[in-house]
Amino acid sequence: MQKALEQVFDGLRPRFEKGGPLEWAWPMFEGAETFFLTPGEHTHKGVHVRDHMDMKRLMILVLYALLPTILIGWWNIGMQAYAAEGVVATPVEALLRGGVAMLPIIITSYTAGGIAELVFCIVRKHEINEGFLVTAMLFPLTLPPSIPLWMVAMGIVFGVVIGKEVFGGVGMNILNPALTARAFVFFTYPAFISGAKVWDAGGQGNSHIVSDLFGYGAPAVEGYTGATPLLAAASGEPGADAVALVEANGWSYMDMFVGTIPGSMGEVSALGALLGALFLIATGIASWRIMVGCVAGAVAMAAVLNGVAGPESVSMMSLPPHYHLVMGGFAFGTVFMATDPVSSANTQTGRLIYGFLIGVLVVLIRVVNPAYPEGMMLAILFMNVFAPLIDYFVVRRTTRRRAARLAAAA
Amino acid sequence: MSDIVVKNGLDIPIAGAASGDIQDLPLPETVAYSPTEIRGFTPRLVAREGDEVKVGSPILLHKPHPSVVLRSPVAGRVKEVRRGHRRVITDYVVERHGDAQEQLRAVALADIQGLARDEALELAASSGWWPTIRQRPLSVMADPTVAPQAIVIAASETGPLQPSGPQLIGDNDGDALQAAIDLLRAATGAEVHLTRLKAESIPAVESAERVTHHTFSGPHPAGDPSLQINLICPPKGSGVVWFLRAWDAVSLGHTILTGSFHATRVVAAVGAGLQTPRLVRTVVGAPLKHVAGQAKSEARWIRGSVLTGESVDADRWSGLYSRAVHVLPEEVKRDILGWALPQLGKWSFHKAFLRGFIGAGSPVDLRPGIYGGHRAIVPVGAYERVVATPDILPEFLFKSIVARDLEESIQLGLLDFTEEEAALCSFICPSKIDFDLLLREGLDLYVQEA
Repeated sequence: MQKALEQVFDGLRPRFEKGGPLEWAWPMFEGAETFFLTPGEHTHKGVHVRDHMDMKRLMILVLYALLPTILIGWWNIGMQAYAAEGVVATPVEALLRGGVAMLPIIITSYTAGGIAELVFCIVRKHEINEGFLVTAMLFPLTLPPSIPLWMVAMGIVFGVVIGKEVFGGVGMNILNPALTARAFVFFTYPAFISGAKVWDAGGQGNSHIVSDLFGYGAPAVEGYTGATPLLAAASGEPGADAVALVEANGWSYMDMFVGTIPGSMGEVSALGALLGALFLIATGIASWRIMVGCVAGAVAMAAVLNGVAGPESVSMMSLPPHYHLVMGGFAFGTVFMATDPVSSANTQTGRLIYGFLIGVLVVLIRVVNPAYPEGMMLAILFMNVFAPLIDYFVVRRTTRRRAARLAAAA
Repeated sequence: MSDIVVKNGLDIPIAGAASGDIQDLPLPETVAYSPTEIRGFTPRLVAREGDEVKVGSPILLHKPHPSVVLRSPVAGRVKEVRRGHRRVITDYVVERHGDAQEQLRAVALADIQGLARDEALELAASSGWWPTIRQRPLSVMADPTVAPQAIVIAASETGPLQPSGPQLIGDNDGDALQAAIDLLRAATGAEVHLTRLKAESIPAVESAERVTHHTFSGPHPAGDPSLQINLICPPKGSGVVWFLRAWDAVSLGHTILTGSFHATRVVAAVGAGLQTPRLVRTVVGAPLKHVAGQAKSEARWIRGSVLTGESVDADRWSGLYSRAVHVLPEEVKRDILGWALPQLGKWSFHKAFLRGFIGAGSPVDLRPGIYGGHRAIVPVGAYERVVATPDILPEFLFKSIVARDLEESIQLGLLDFTEEEAALCSFICPSKIDFDLLLREGLDLYVQEA
């Protein structure tokens, strides 16, 4: 099997190499070859032996870490869609319906993004960046299940091209590409990604040919609000208790932790994100400093706001810190988005500060800004922009310490 | 006396270590120096092709400072002066016959401390072993005209498969080591630091006097003198610090004490490419195949370690600095879908592999594969874990070198950062970037501009 594969690729290689008739398609050949077989390239200068770790493995492990989130989200989409119709579904039914809603979105994201990625690789003559595998999975997970497929395609192409490729590809980008894609959809088609009408699979934007094919899409029952817990907590009268507002919708803390609530496809489950976080930290892929910073920042800011909340303040002011952690996209963003090694701070101390400020900003946006019930995307993108500045100060502090140590002439 | 624990670093568990007793080899038919490996040495021929030389005859001298010479390890005839690009001398080959000895000045151990500074310096420079003394920053051959702030003599080695201090320094080398210490003290007036690994016992080193002793423990590069300088006595201002290996100091000492050039040394033949890795006693500059024998299969011959060693043709010679010849099998196996599978058998520095998580267990047959595509730096916080020099931010340093921003590079520690650390960064890099070559590029730029 391996011999045969090696022969096939060795036979094809001359056509794709410099001077061959298919030279322009080298990135495709290289991508296909290294998909099937680990590279056989020998070291020829510098250090003679190298570690087996490579970018492909790094990225695939992030996908593995996403599995709990994807599976819980998948099942929950089905549950929520049936709940909107007032039907109590079995887990199998929920998975079927969830799959019908979710898979076309993921497939669209990979296809449209993949084409954009490939075109750039051919034009810019660089190898296919496996970081795309993660971007094209993260992006759909931040969307509501009713999002029209053409918006998914628009979003991911924007994310890949403007978020990443124009800067030179993975490693050069300033913003997280998946969040860039989401921000594009969020500001361009706000009605399809926010509000109370989009969070079940049969909601406002649903134009899925696929789901019609399966006969899904009965109208929502009367009395179904469709709001997310964050929206619910923010919609009370001044002075109202946020927790009571959430519980009035029938959601307990445990529901929000496990993820049986309306929301974007991958953000609902703090449990899924937590499992992913444990995996990412154990394998050393994502920075625990960023995650700890985010949680600390959010808890600190929420505690401060709780402290100053008065009888006339908005209901969100009274939401306790531990509720912030399981509601909305906080857990998902903390674990999978804020930790993107490229767009986050690159110094150890910087990572703590960067994480902390994301946590602070999320809570501030959620509580103080009446226009956006959720603030995770904006907080992360904002701090992406500031990460180099944080690094700058940490680097300067380090070089000053170095200089001081070496200054005194012996 | 200080006891320093190095936390960051990596011992690469590569297979092929030498073990057992030291085998005495007969004198080789040819020996050679490669002046190109001695950075900072500008050679001029003293003996030309066809000239007869004795053991210890000067054969090459350093143009800017002619008392610095290389001496012939064997008696015989200069067979060939091989030249490479721009006519630099790549190999200076002496063919052996006879055993005539050149008589050098001998000084008794007790008298060395009393030598005048210039006299001591001249004695060291002309011993034939001066090129083994290097200086930081830049790790070039020490300049005899500039007094160092300190001297580090390292009896430690932690590089992959490199022979250890106890294997290279015998119990009767104590006087020779002391002679070298006293000579360098007399020649410079600088403080001498003698380092060894905490886990190792080397009586000849432990009993040395008129030095400051230091012990180091921890993973590679804990045994690297460049790193040790950063931790004990970093060069301050525009000053320099000299360093050499204790085993080279022993060669220097024996030469001074006996008045005859001490060419004998222990060399390790290591690597999975050899049937039986071994330790041998031979002379400096012995042919690689004389030291290691034949390779089992197609292999890469490396002077030194897989991290910082130079790959050379198998028909060349073993070099001045390194005490190991690593024969690395060249064949690289490919795996189907390797990136997506658990790969339980593969060892890695990274915890993304099971055996990176629980440790290697037994030595691993590492091969010279890249095992990945070349990518931009994706900073996952791994480089910091193999960098032991304080206050270095490796990613930022590398980026400033790529940007050719020399001022920024220097501020970020271009001159302290060590070759071994850069090599470890290359080894673990998931983006397969050659940081060791980048560091060299940065240092070359510094030399150009300075």
